[in-house]
Amino acid sequence: MTAALVATLSMTVLGLPVALALDRRARGPLLLGAAFLYGSGVVFAVLLGLSILHIRWTIVIVAIVNLAVCVAAAVLARRPARETRAATRQLKPHWLDLATLLTMTGFAFYATIAPLWEWDFWAIWGMKARVFLEHGGIDWRFLESRWNSYVHPDYPLLVPLNFDFVTLLQGGWSDRWLGVLSIAWAAALLLIVRDLAAREVSPVPAALVAFVVAPIAASRFVGIAEGPLIAFGAAAVLFLRRAALFDDPAAWRHGAVLLGLAASVKNEGIALIVSVAIAMLFVRRRDVLRLWPAVAIAAPWLILRATHDLPTDIASGSVFERVLARMPHAAEIASLVTRTLYHPFFWAALLLGFLIVPAARRREAFVLLVTAIQLAFYLATYFATPNDPRWHIATSWSRLTEQLAVPITFVVVLMLAKTAAGVEQSPDAEARPVEP
Amino acid sequence: MRRILALVCLLAIVALRLEPRLMQLPFIDRQPIVELLGNYADGEWQQYPRFLQHVRACTRAGDSIAIVAPAMKWDDGYSYAYYRASYFLAGREVLPLVTADDRVHPENFQRARYIATWRANVPAGRYKVLCQAEGGALLQR
Repeated sequence: MTAALVATLSMTVLGLPVALALDRRARGPLLLGAAFLYGSGVVFAVLLGLSILHIRWTIVIVAIVNLAVCVAAAVLARRPARETRAATRQLKPHWLDLATLLTMTGFAFYATIAPLWEWDFWAIWGMKARVFLEHGGIDWRFLESRWNSYVHPDYPLLVPLNFDFVTLLQGGWSDRWLGVLSIAWAAALLLIVRDLAAREVSPVPAALVAFVVAPIAASRFVGIAEGPLIAFGAAAVLFLRRAALFDDPAAWRHGAVLLGLAASVKNEGIALIVSVAIAMLFVRRRDVLRLWPAVAIAAPWLILRATHDLPTDIASGSVFERVLARMPHAAEIASLVTRTLYHPFFWAALLLGFLIVPAARRREAFVLLVTAIQLAFYLATYFATPNDPRWHIATSWSRLTEQLAVPITFVVVLMLAKTAAGVEQSPDAEARPVEP
Repeated sequence: MRRILALVCLLAIVALRLEPRLMQLPFIDRQPIVELLGNYADGEWQQYPRFLQHVRACTRAGDSIAIVAPAMKWDDGYSYAYYRASYFLAGREVLPLVTADDRVHPENFQRARYIATWRANVPAGRYKVLCQAEGGALLQR
């Protein structure tokens, strides 16, 4: 357990100068949450870089390179700020935050209750981490082997390489305490959500939104990539929403970098870059190029997997033929996704929220569009999958909808809170804190 | 009216995402959950990972090992046996004798340096038994 805690702390310290380099004004919960997420990204980038350079991973080498990145980011963070706005104001805690804390405490017990048990952990994410640790770097022969297609060799490697960082620190493989990372990813997202909400509404709704998204951030699929994808993806979308609504340059940088890191977690994160870019074309066409860091961060893995010819199961065989063959079964697929929707009444309540506050639809067009486009990608997958769509829906739909839930919940809870408090919902209104 | 509806909807969203089981977890006896999740990965094959640990101890990185399990059909349990072996024997080359299409691969049996056989019979006499434990044996050609 000590190694996992030390690794989490190290990642946070590593990420602090990166977070400050991107946003000199960041303070408090936002800085802490962003620092862990960037630290997680730095560890991934360092281990990936060492592998590309054929340098065997050892804790000494990894620590030295991590420190070098940390120092470089600290130098960047010390440059005079071009933005003149004041530092983030102090966030006021509320007793409702205790409920979020209790949820997270429960999740901390759950995530570390036993050695990681999920099939996808030991057959995919933990499997790769363990193989790479033995190899001292990314084992391309393992990924390329025809016998190992079950590990989804094309999936990005942030999660396995983060596991490897923990196990390098503990001096050997153990899956007993790797769940600590799942807690940290969830906590990081909640800190960001709480801080971003507090900039727009009073402490009560800000605490409420953190409480509502806590069980989503605390993904029950411990040890696999769902939790970190929710953390990076939701944080990215919420920062980009803020950037688009308030012309906040630091939020642009946070959003673009976190989006790239979401794409380094899972293929759905790569799809999220496309969804965000399309949505941005509708709401802020002139700013779409500001997403370039996301593409730059995702690109190395995309190039590597292409050069190593790592197969993507969805793209195998004739996708077009499969889609055509399943078109007549669209109603059946629609019925299945409706029946297997996780928390259907919750989703119905979110939709109802948009009906109650119609003015918010224009203001929150970015989050709505991202959610709708990403949802369309997921549904299209069920038409293209080489597997039985019924099996595919049953094993993935609840996870996929949870991936999308945080940003949409954030905006609905905030706009309902504002409406309930009597604050006018104008599509162009500058958000302002709602007094309790 | 809209303000009341908004408030009701907001409260409904909060109520629908309450996770009482998560919030109770710090205060309840967690031992049954420890046992449930601790045994979750291996179900009724609790001996199998212990057998694989012995196989790991008897082999070295880079060795090729074919897996013989009681279920030699992919969805009847061979997939689990193969994946689990690949996890515990990381660093070795674990070779399946059956693949997802239920096709048998005798070439992997021929190619492997070792045969890890668990609760299954392999013709005796043709192989040297390197170690026996937890209902299985590691055989060498």
